Amino acid sequence: MSSSSVSELKERHIAATETVNSLRQRLNHKRLQLLDTDIAGYAKSQGKSPVAFGPTDLLCCRILQGHTGKVYSLDWTPEKNRIVSASQDGRLIVWNALTSQKTHAIKLPCAWVMTCAFSPGGQSVACGGLDSACSIFNLTSPTDKDGNIPVSRMLSGHKGYVSSCQFIPDENNYLITSSGDQTCVLWDINTGLRTSVFGVEFQSGHTADVLSVSISNSNSRMFVSGSCDATARLWDTRVASRAARTFHGHEGDVNSVKFFPDGNRFGTGSDDGTCRLYDIRTGHQLQVYSPPHQQQGGTVPDAPMVTSIAFSISGRLLFAGYSNGDCLVWDTLLAKVILNLGSVHNSHEARVSCLGLSADGSALCTGSWDTNLKIWAFGGHRKVI
Amino acid sequence: MQTEKSEPLRSGAADTRGKHRISAELKRLEQETRHLEEELDQLEKMESASVACKEILNNVGTRPDPLLPKTIGPANPSWDQWFEGPQDKSGCRCWIL
Repeated sequence: MSSSSVSELKERHIAATETVNSLRQRLNHKRLQLLDTDIAGYAKSQGKSPVAFGPTDLLCCRILQGHTGKVYSLDWTPEKNRIVSASQDGRLIVWNALTSQKTHAIKLPCAWVMTCAFSPGGQSVACGGLDSACSIFNLTSPTDKDGNIPVSRMLSGHKGYVSSCQFIPDENNYLITSSGDQTCVLWDINTGLRTSVFGVEFQSGHTADVLSVSISNSNSRMFVSGSCDATARLWDTRVASRAARTFHGHEGDVNSVKFFPDGNRFGTGSDDGTCRLYDIRTGHQLQVYSPPHQQQGGTVPDAPMVTSIAFSISGRLLFAGYSNGDCLVWDTLLAKVILNLGSVHNSHEARVSCLGLSADGSALCTGSWDTNLKIWAFGGHRKVI
Repeated sequence: MQTEKSEPLRSGAADTRGKHRISAELKRLEQETRHLEEELDQLEKMESASVACKEILNNVGTRPDPLLPKTIGPANPSWDQWFEGPQDKSGCRCWIL
């Protein structure tokens, strides 16, 4: 092996890097030409009227107290109003959100949990964290001698922490995880094996920790991932070798991704303090949601980071939790903040780390570093057209 | 054996590893070039953002949404379950009756 071939490779590497950079610039330029409007511009031109909340329309109607540490993650069942939450206290708690009662408290073998999810049938919960594994608990299992539900399946194989997990809709036996090892994995829970790994080294995958996943409700073969590499990527579960599309724009870690209800768009929330809406078919960035204090232009140092997002069932509202305890309710179409659940009566007293909508869209649950979960619902006069 | 002035003398094994690493990165860059060229081709025929914006405006108006003050129907009676009936003592009661 002569080092002259190493230097030849290095030259080719430099040339290839220049080609890639030049192509990216051309792509950006072409994309800008196609961005003839954003959603807010179009909605205004169509005379769309704003959503008008009265001051007491969105109310905190339940406080779920019981965790003794920061709440990191929550997930609703697809039916029956139950919630599973994961906390720094090393426990999963399953709640009946309507009665506020705890139905299960699971002490985890590894206390460093970061994410949790309910199975579509509501019989199992999954969680993952710094143990680099995803553990499945069957809620109908008999407890062991210490009163704990045993792990029914451990999904091992990630080489880094498990940041997020979600069951495939209508599939109790398949779930997708995202990881600090820069990959996402589709798991077969029955066998405990990896069906597919998305973003294997040197393939078209993320180039830093993956923090979040969201599976499309209208096409469960599609999911998006958000990463510390400041991109979101769209994947087809049948094609693990490369991302179907990569979405640029954010200037910091993409902490949260969520499919838009119509299935053709998705939202993101980032350390750069903004949320964005992207179109999966064209790749266009359709809207940036930038809180008022940031709108002077450019990124503001120390601006609150977006930790988590969710859409209301129609998509008209975008809920975003921030690192400073704010929980902004955005009008998705007009890109205006309608309400801040972080400054109303009974708001959380610390960062909102996670949030999610109930299956029928009638309630929002927020989880916070203040150790509580809160349920918010519409308590005003509703006009049905 | 020639060595570049900018590099310290290294063992043959280190050279091999370096060559493999650069070679793998080069492959990744060449693959990315192909993907970017494909995307550039797609963009030639791509619709503008206003097409997607129009779709979104249409879609959003067609789904009943219990969290909106004004929404298309039909309303579901379960939408108001959060403010109905006797609640568990440990629940928060900060809703307006």
